[in-house]
Amino acid sequence: MLLTLDILTTAAILFIVSIGLLAIFGVLKIINFAHGAWLTVGAYCAVVTAKLGLNPWLALPLAFLVGAVLGGIAEHFIIRPLYRRPLDAILATWGLGIVVGQLVTLGLGRDVQLTPNLYAGTVAFLGVDYSAYRLVALGIALVIGTMFALAIERTRLGLSARAVIMNETLARSLGIDTGRVRLVVFMIGAGLAALAGVLLTPLTSVDPNMGVAWLIGAFMLVMVADASYLALAAACLVFGAAQVLISTFVSPILGSIAIAVLAALVLRISPKGFSRA
Amino acid sequence: MLETAPVARRAVPAPGRRPRLARTAPFVVAGLTALALWIAPLVLDTFAVNVLTRSMIYAVPAVTVDLLWGFAGILTFGQAAFFGVGAYAAAMILNAYGATPLGIAAALATAIAAPALLGLVVGWLSFYHRSTPLYASVISLVVPIVVVQLIYAGGEWTGSSSGLVGFDVLPFEIEGYFRLAALVLVAVTLAAWILVRSDAGRALVALRDNEARCAYLGLNPRRLQILLTAGLAAVAGFAGFLFANASGVVAPENAGFLFGTELVIWVALGGRGTLLGPVLGTIAIDYLAANLSGDLPFLWQLLLGTAFVAIIILLPGGLADLVGRLWRVLPFGRSGPSAPALAAREDGTEPTATDTSILKVQGLAKAYGSLTVLEAIDLEIRAGELVSLVGPNGAGKTTLMRCLSDGTEPFTGSIAVGGTAITGLTPNRIVGLGVGRKFQVASVFESLSVADCLRLARASHDGLNPTGRAATLGLPQAALDVLRMTGLDRRLPEPARLLSHGQKQALELAMVVALEPRLILLDEPTAGLTKAERTTIGRVLKDLTANGRIAAVLVEHDLDFVREISSRIVVLHQGRLVLDGTVEAVVGSELVRTIYSGGAHG
Repeated sequence: MLLTLDILTTAAILFIVSIGLLAIFGVLKIINFAHGAWLTVGAYCAVVTAKLGLNPWLALPLAFLVGAVLGGIAEHFIIRPLYRRPLDAILATWGLGIVVGQLVTLGLGRDVQLTPNLYAGTVAFLGVDYSAYRLVALGIALVIGTMFALAIERTRLGLSARAVIMNETLARSLGIDTGRVRLVVFMIGAGLAALAGVLLTPLTSVDPNMGVAWLIGAFMLVMVADASYLALAAACLVFGAAQVLISTFVSPILGSIAIAVLAALVLRISPKGFSRA
Repeated sequence: MLETAPVARRAVPAPGRRPRLARTAPFVVAGLTALALWIAPLVLDTFAVNVLTRSMIYAVPAVTVDLLWGFAGILTFGQAAFFGVGAYAAAMILNAYGATPLGIAAALATAIAAPALLGLVVGWLSFYHRSTPLYASVISLVVPIVVVQLIYAGGEWTGSSSGLVGFDVLPFEIEGYFRLAALVLVAVTLAAWILVRSDAGRALVALRDNEARCAYLGLNPRRLQILLTAGLAAVAGFAGFLFANASGVVAPENAGFLFGTELVIWVALGGRGTLLGPVLGTIAIDYLAANLSGDLPFLWQLLLGTAFVAIIILLPGGLADLVGRLWRVLPFGRSGPSAPALAAREDGTEPTATDTSILKVQGLAKAYGSLTVLEAIDLEIRAGELVSLVGPNGAGKTTLMRCLSDGTEPFTGSIAVGGTAITGLTPNRIVGLGVGRKFQVASVFESLSVADCLRLARASHDGLNPTGRAATLGLPQAALDVLRMTGLDRRLPEPARLLSHGQKQALELAMVVALEPRLILLDEPTAGLTKAERTTIGRVLKDLTANGRIAAVLVEHDLDFVREISSRIVVLHQGRLVLDGTVEAVVGSELVRTIYSGGAHG
């Protein structure tokens, strides 16, 4: 039972962390290596909220807003000139990540920060005492996933985004302002990443380089999911399960590389990853 | 075998003494640099000697990153892993056996062999038929992460997170290590310099430009990329060996992903694809970092990050590109492009009797999901035939061509070239059977010169010189004819991207003909060409097939052109082969008229 909960909540956290990256990869076809920096920025929003003595949950909207604004600026000045050079965009966003990380360090120090838990304590759930926050995270992941699905399937922006994902040239010639779609999607992606940063604070320590640790896992999951959020959910479940099982029964060190190695192998065998199913 | 053709004299600008000077200059410069670096420890303070030793060792993997990324187009973060494996292999063996001659030899051998083996595995994972550049970068990210975790898991063997320290090292003073690092760096840079300026070095750029074209010239892109990865992994491992000895300590971050990104940053700032840029960039940045990061660590990182982003966006060629542009403004900085002399090569293919079956297609069918594109195609083509494949748009002509030249396309039925079934064979192996394919949109190597494009077309027959540039370029007479008729023989030194649409088509045709194929597949070779160019290409094709050695299949819409040159016409309609006969029989048929006027759709 404990294992099942571990798997489900791990998958939920992975999903929260990678959904913003997925949105950007799907529409812009660009790997946003500044994703880790957005996570960090979000986590520091939680730190700042706590320092101001506000309700820790207020960090969520704040982080989304800050992430979206910073994402908008980054899209305009850095991503836009590199639309046609996707490999260079990886590098430029990585450089942006360094810059953001150093700015955070200069502004708020390099020390590990502690934040109040969003939802402390444990609950007895079907016979086991389990971290209440991890269960809350599971709920939040479902909410984010549902809202993301609704946005994609039911809104005008979602329709435009799907058009751009399928055939950008055609979408542009049909009068869709693809530049604006890219901008908005990038802002949402960065906002979601910052939101994820806040949600990570009860689970991990906050320091200027915290994002990098999550970046590679998120990146590999997105590569396997190939622009489909359903495939991303499936990938999070499968690889999250693998990570938990390997960490529990084999070794935590092998567990930590399970996602990267398994995802690479899956891509080698089936370049489209999970999105085919 | 080679006889110099008359075109040769026109093609060479003026055989001056410049080439010889250009050939010896790198050696002279390398020698002088090595000498200067030998003396340098006498004037530098200990701190500088120490830091520069490390910087020069780091510059070696930076050179390998430049070869992979700047030249071959493979963005890699994985060189750090190979460097780390080399360093750890050296440290672990020296730790266990001490710096005895045997211990040192074993450490050196393992520090080279282990990364090379790992490189083979990584290469096999990264490169396969239809793999994408992004995927190779993904794998190169995963490798250092895995290596670092294995180091953590290594316990006493690897020292886990604290690394290894206090092992025996080579018996050198710090000046000795400085000189050793300098000599190795100069040697590696010189070797890389010679390689990228040789004919074989052009193949790296060709891989970056157009991997598909490489495969359709009979080169195996996959094997080249895997061997390159393994070879450069060995070089990085050797640098790791030096590092372990010179610093006396190895730590997990020497193999880490962050070090991998640092290498890429140094190369990008110095100037990818220039070799000297990355070398100087690495040394300058690492030296500056050592001096500045003590006082203002975060500001330094911030500046570096900002500079990196700015360079990637505004100056993708890096600082070396800026210097290069200034250099070319100077009067002596402009060297005229040179090109090899053309020579005719005797036809290598043994004459096949006319009527030998070259291509045999039986019951070929292909579907995308529920959409049937080709169905029940039976076709036999013999030497000396020039078969035109006609039919309206969407009839399946291009799909058929693709099936004929790429056995990994999923299709049912059988296709045999010269009696060999091609099912499952990659394009380069089918080229090896004697099939040459010209694409609908001219597929050449945009950043290579016309001469280099043709050289690569001959590579599967003649090989490529890895140390220099051959003075002559031997081509079959038919390819020379194409060049002469289209005036390309006078433009040999020019980059292919500057050619007009028609000339690119002609160049691609010449490249395919230079392969000396038995069967040549042409997809709309005359699309978008002028009347004169069209006539030229028609004449070339007729000449090629007239002597009965080869067969040609072309997809064509221009019925007048088809009527003029074909020996046989095959009509494809809605994925089926509906007519197969002589020019007169097909052109006069009622069916063709209805198909083309759209009547047969209902």
